[in-house]
Amino acid sequence: MRALVVYCHPNPNSFNAAVRNLVIDRLTRAGAEVRLADLYAQGFQPVLTGDEWQGYLACPDNQTGVGQEVADLRWCDTLIFVYPTWWYGLPAMLKGWLDRVMLPDVAFLMPDGQNRTIRPGLHHIKGLAVFTTCGASWWLTRLIGAPGRRTLMRGVGFLCAPGKRTAFAAHYLMDSSTPASRQRHLDKVAAKLDRFIGAGRQSASSRSASSPSSVT
Amino acid sequence: MTRVLILFAHPCEESFSAALKTTVVETLARRGWEVDLCDLYAENFDPVLTAAERRGYLTAPDNCGPVQPHVDRLRAAQALVFVFPVWNFGFPAILKGYLDRVFLPGVSFKLEDGLVAPGLTHIRKMAAVTTYGATRWRAFLASDPPKRVIKRALWFVARPDRMSYMALHDMNRATPARRADYLARVQRAMERF
Repeated sequence: MRALVVYCHPNPNSFNAAVRNLVIDRLTRAGAEVRLADLYAQGFQPVLTGDEWQGYLACPDNQTGVGQEVADLRWCDTLIFVYPTWWYGLPAMLKGWLDRVMLPDVAFLMPDGQNRTIRPGLHHIKGLAVFTTCGASWWLTRLIGAPGRRTLMRGVGFLCAPGKRTAFAAHYLMDSSTPASRQRHLDKVAAKLDRFIGAGRQSASSRSASSPSSVT
Repeated sequence: MTRVLILFAHPCEESFSAALKTTVVETLARRGWEVDLCDLYAENFDPVLTAAERRGYLTAPDNCGPVQPHVDRLRAAQALVFVFPVWNFGFPAILKGYLDRVFLPGVSFKLEDGLVAPGLTHIRKMAAVTTYGATRWRAFLASDPPKRVIKRALWFVARPDRMSYMALHDMNRATPARRADYLARVQRAMERF
């Protein structure tokens, strides 16, 4: 497995950093190759410029300025996002990463003579996971329609391989979180991640194989 | 005179979004609105919420410090119009960053006992004028995140008397006639605004 972890939080000591560390640790222990894109630490520039907009359809020149990001995206077979939900959506920094890196001929193919609509370009990505925190409650997030989750799971998900594995976990009501609620969330992320990377299934099958009560 | 704040997010003057913005500005000015155009690209708005801003996020009114002029403009408005292209099923980063940095606790919403209460009730009318690369069907399948943020989350903090969300889908294949129809539709909506 080759996993690209896109991480976005301004504060190095945030709870999201703990989630990121957990994700990287679990992936590494499962034998995955991991690349980390720490957008704030890298000083990623999220604003698509006038020049970039004018050259948006000119492939491959449109990749100038985001060559490493495009290389990472093409390298990975698993894409994982770790970020706080702000205003029900992605932080501008992370949204700008989508705007500038999810380019024609990289993430999708534009309509042409044969094809009437935009086609997916990330079929090499077979796993998509999102781990986030929300100030709002689960109910309010659902009432609004979980825009951030859907931008990634459906918008980006549409570009990835059909039948891809997915995982999602959010800590809601983050502003009134407690050490216990945060630990519960980390445990949940770990469990979802283990299932996501298959380690959970493998260890479960080895457990049941060694269990005297298992029936085969 | 009633004042309208127009939030515009597109880097290029020759874009269709810029044409929509011009139609909105001119129509509202002709109808007697006092227009405050906030062209986020032209004003070099920095959309990145910093670590210091994150730490002080909940501390009103000090949290307004870094973006005070934008907060003042928002508070002076009785109407709000967004003009932007939908990119990757969301706002352009520069506009999302405006929400992150300016729509602060104490400004757009108040936290009362951990619950969110509206803070922009002086805004009585709200509209969004957008374009999509995606078809209407595909935007629907993705459950249209930017529409939900505007029609639900922003509606919630302002409770405006009127709210409209206009969209031209499948922009990449839009004929000049479809574009002209949409411009005319936007103009009619702004005349009634």
